[in-house]
Amino acid sequence: MTQTRGFSRRAIIMHWLITISIFFLFISSWWMLSLPFPSEDFKYRVLPFQVHKNIGITILFFLAILLYLRFKFPPGTVVISHAHPWMSRLVIFYHFLLYVIILSCCVSGYMSSSYSGWNTTLWWIIELPNWGYEDEELNIFYSEIHLWTCWALLVLVAIHVSGAIYHAFRNDGIVQRMLRL
Amino acid sequence: MSIAAPNKPRPTWAVWLGAIAVIFGVLQTAVYSNEWMTQKVISEDITAMQSTPDCPEDELLEEDISLAECELMAAKVNIMIVSRPSWFRDFQMCISLLGGIIAFASIFVGAALVEYRNWAPTGAVVTFTVLLVINTVEFAAATHAGPLLRATYLWNITLWFFIHLIMTSAALAGHHKKDK
Repeated sequence: MTQTRGFSRRAIIMHWLITISIFFLFISSWWMLSLPFPSEDFKYRVLPFQVHKNIGITILFFLAILLYLRFKFPPGTVVISHAHPWMSRLVIFYHFLLYVIILSCCVSGYMSSSYSGWNTTLWWIIELPNWGYEDEELNIFYSEIHLWTCWALLVLVAIHVSGAIYHAFRNDGIVQRMLRL
Repeated sequence: MSIAAPNKPRPTWAVWLGAIAVIFGVLQTAVYSNEWMTQKVISEDITAMQSTPDCPEDELLEEDISLAECELMAAKVNIMIVSRPSWFRDFQMCISLLGGIIAFASIFVGAALVEYRNWAPTGAVVTFTVLLVINTVEFAAATHAGPLLRATYLWNITLWFFIHLIMTSAALAGHHKKDK
């Protein structure tokens, strides 16, 4: 029924690190946007925003590594008896879209930050160049893209999770490919 | 290229419970990490409590909020500072750290269940039970934290409690099935 050749272990680690990071960014961003605007007396936003940017940029690196491993060590072709050929094509398109949306989310967030006038120091070590200057309109433009790509990402994540649960209940060997120790 | 064990029979209960444990493990790791950060960021801050928040018009426009909402953001932080008992911040940071570690471990336990490692059913019972105990301790703490924090914390602790209760019961049932 199903071949069980899975993803490489390093790809699995990258996948789950990206997953935890994405969920953390969603939850923390909903919370941190309810904190008072930064001022001399109110500095509550400083740490969460820095952490948010650091994790977002790190996701880009993880994604690059995951894609490299995905193509360098491709998992075996899965043959499921009940699947139609168009389903496989849909799954490929879905994954392509998922990678593009994650990339867009991270890049638009970084660009928005660049035009906000706030510097980004990656994990408080590496000072990243500011690609932009302080420009409120561009900041709002990129932050709108960031907002909508993130909502799109949440929808894609929900589809991803429901697909995983569907295959787990069918016990058809699909989830085992990404859930190996 | 790594290749999984060739079609080792894996009971369906273990695969779906494992997959669910991984998903909830990921979610709860994120939730606990955020709670830890919340308590870290909102320290005892008398200056902030006595100040009026800055609400510049461009920021209001950027975040699409009203002046009243902007002022309430400061009130929200003050609610936490004023209403939490003296022990609450340290307690929340410790329990979030512990809960985050166990939730992270539950991701591996879930993966082990999917692979149906020999130790996985026992590991699942132990891990989910520990998470259940943590939820119980959190629940007891939140009930003693006053009405404002109860309103914030109690409902989602209760939700997680029941999720872990269901997962522990399922792991126990699977464990007993394995013994037969």
